[in-house]
Amino acid sequence: MKETEELKVANILEVEDLGVTFGTDTGDVPAVREVSLHVRPGETLALVGESGSGKSTVALAAMGLLPSNARASGRVSVDGTQVVGAGEAELARLRGRTASMVFQEPATALDPLTRVGAQIAEVVRNHRSVSRAEAAREAVELLRRVGIPEPERRASAFPFQLSGGQRQRVVIAMAIANSPGLLIADEPTTALDVTVQAEILDLLRALAADSGTGVLLVTHNMGVVADFADRVAVMLNGEVVESGSVEQVLLHPEHEYTQRLLEAVPRLEVEAPVVESVPREVAGEPVVEKAEPATPEGEAVVELRGVSVRFGRGPGAVQALQEVSLTVRPGETVGLVGESGSGKSTAARVALGLVAPAGGTVSLFGRELGRTRGRARRALLSGVGVVLQDPVASLDARMSVGECVAEPLRMHRRGLSAAERRARVAEVLERVRLPRELAGRGPRELSGGQRQRVSLARALVLEPRLLVADEPTSALDVSVQRTVLEVIAELQGELGFACLFVSHDLAVVQQFAQRVVVMRAGQVEEQGPTMTTLLRPETEYTRRLIAAVPVPDPVMQRRRREALRTGVTA
Amino acid sequence: METLVYLARRVLQSLVVILIVTVVVFCLLHALPGGPARGILGPQATAQQIASFNHEQGLDRPLPVQYVYYLGTLLHGDLGTSYTLNEAVSKLIEQRLPKTLVLTVLSALVGLLLAIPLGMWQAVRRNKPTDYVITTLSFVAYSTPVYFLGLILVLVFTQTLHWFPSQAPQGDTLAQVFADPVGLVLPVVTGAASMIAVFSRYMRASTLENLSEDYVRTARAGGARQGAILFRHVFRNSLTPVIAMLGYYVPVLFGGALVVEQLFNYPGMGLLFWSAAQSSDYPVLLGCVLVISVATVVGTLLADVVQRIVDPRVKAGQA
Repeated sequence: MKETEELKVANILEVEDLGVTFGTDTGDVPAVREVSLHVRPGETLALVGESGSGKSTVALAAMGLLPSNARASGRVSVDGTQVVGAGEAELARLRGRTASMVFQEPATALDPLTRVGAQIAEVVRNHRSVSRAEAAREAVELLRRVGIPEPERRASAFPFQLSGGQRQRVVIAMAIANSPGLLIADEPTTALDVTVQAEILDLLRALAADSGTGVLLVTHNMGVVADFADRVAVMLNGEVVESGSVEQVLLHPEHEYTQRLLEAVPRLEVEAPVVESVPREVAGEPVVEKAEPATPEGEAVVELRGVSVRFGRGPGAVQALQEVSLTVRPGETVGLVGESGSGKSTAARVALGLVAPAGGTVSLFGRELGRTRGRARRALLSGVGVVLQDPVASLDARMSVGECVAEPLRMHRRGLSAAERRARVAEVLERVRLPRELAGRGPRELSGGQRQRVSLARALVLEPRLLVADEPTSALDVSVQRTVLEVIAELQGELGFACLFVSHDLAVVQQFAQRVVVMRAGQVEEQGPTMTTLLRPETEYTRRLIAAVPVPDPVMQRRRREALRTGVTA
Repeated sequence: METLVYLARRVLQSLVVILIVTVVVFCLLHALPGGPARGILGPQATAQQIASFNHEQGLDRPLPVQYVYYLGTLLHGDLGTSYTLNEAVSKLIEQRLPKTLVLTVLSALVGLLLAIPLGMWQAVRRNKPTDYVITTLSFVAYSTPVYFLGLILVLVFTQTLHWFPSQAPQGDTLAQVFADPVGLVLPVVTGAASMIAVFSRYMRASTLENLSEDYVRTARAGGARQGAILFRHVFRNSLTPVIAMLGYYVPVLFGGALVVEQLFNYPGMGLLFWSAAQSSDYPVLLGCVLVISVATVVGTLLADVVQRIVDPRVKAGQA
């Protein structure tokens, strides 16, 4: 990163030897060490890394938005203004005008009690002395620019009246209100569906290209990096370990960590317009070798037939599922995919007996669930294990790991003695590759990946014939995701349970499931063998869904985007 | 239209609650030791006297019949007759209630006007000396019994400093009460003290929670200054849960009035309730209970309506 003096002046963001330390009750925790990077006008630098790598801290430091217990050292200059050590008044002049920021969670990023138009107008008036009426007009114009339909009407909407994608557009409108030279986007699309993600990335790209804005993009998603960035800096434990052009870093990574990171990224196999753009050693083998899809025989472990579910009553009722039919056979893995609100989690809950269908039937292991009561129903349901998305919320923090895992035994195997229970818990912990000593610990002492393996141990302690996994890895870093998926696949081979795998991540499903069911708006859009459905989808919806997933290869992703724009589906 | 339907539904719900309150009050009336007759005629009354009293008053009829009759008289504004003051309970309450309302509403207003800024200030100065000092004072004010606090105030401001009188205004009409504003100071301050303590705690917690919300960071990233963030965004968001608490606080205010009125010899409902309790004047006691219950229901209703106006999500059923 040698720059001539002349170029240095032109940098909109210049970070030199940045260090950030958080003061906590138990002492100082260094979060960022000796980070140097720069963003030129009109270019996008992606800052990538796993959780805890310090990438968001760098972004916040650049805005002077670090929490009060953080101490920063080094130099951060935005358009020539030194940010580290600057006073609040000086920072306020900078923020929203020279540099602005887009955040990860559009659901909470806006003031719930203020109309969105007023929130945008506020940013305008923070920096320019225009009349209220003029600022309101500008707000409408900005809403139009970020692609909100009927901006005049939407300006007076409250945030809760907008969808997640629209809220993110409002946040972007606030960010570009004063045509900043630098836009910092911290995981701007992580909370959004892939199709919405593609739209938001297109929007950001267009806005940056129009105005020559430099972008610092913080993300963990290599697909987004390939789609959006010009240069990449990879962070590990608070330090930048590798940086360079996007092609160089993503296709020919030099640092061992970058190589590992890229290998762990699940890749969606697509019928690429051009083959052989991915060198073999980088593409990596599929995360998990699938069991041969030898058309599993035998009675279905779970079968939904014409299932309908309605939430609520009257005109406000939501039809969550409509005539949904799907089957999981012994030993096979069925991926259930779709965007948020498509009903995939509801379908999984119906299979778990947690939601009673308004119409249709659910059969578990050949017995109709709706016709069983009491003890018989409990016995039937004990054949199903479940792993949920959030590894923090799904374990009781007041129970030890051992107690968490033993709970199903207490419910369904009442005859077991305490010693037998302990033995079973130890055994299943080792199965999920956790040391048995962990049984005495609390869930909070574990990492996310360990917690999710505890959930898995709890799900498997009764040796179920069916495992329902609802987004089991979407809260985890890619490398951790890989281990968890490997453990599930390995145990599936050993124990032979079937798996209903709910995920929004098509790449993971493609590598993990033999069959896939695509859901949309409460209905099954299409289903079939994974490689058929995801490579040659029959419906336009699935095609769009697949096209929207960015692949972590800048060359291929550029081609796919071109193809998408010209109307040819990649 | 939507709002009207909502209001109608809420008022109906409130009426149901009040009806349940009348049932409870009625049952209490009949659960008195020896029944109402023993209460009125005293321990010396003979069984015959009691029987004839019960017959006169219709107290020997089946309870459901009596309840319907009781409800009928209630609807006519008849709360019965005081045993000791020989006056209609409704008349007594009519005289006393406005004075109590003056006291409680003033206490609540003073309390809130101090508590809300105090709570916000504490949140902004979190874990700094000012926060600690106010927190300590809050706990002292909250844990000091009202009558003790009142006595101390009298000791300091009346006996020592001679700033305010130890007696509240004695007039019977509101005009007379307001003619002596200085006399209202100590009763109102005494009534407001615990309110300040409690609501500054709510406001502090609520503001702290909001200050750590993402939208504050968004506003800051847009170049908003601290003052604008506090008053344009955090204030309203922090206030909504506090408003919801207000409705439930109405009975506490009346409870406070009970002590304050006794202490400062202010002839409002609290004092009426106090003396009725001393002389086992059950019709007066239960009349007061009914009025306070209605006030609570109305207070909660008002709090809900205000919250609906302030927070659009409530209207949409999203919060």
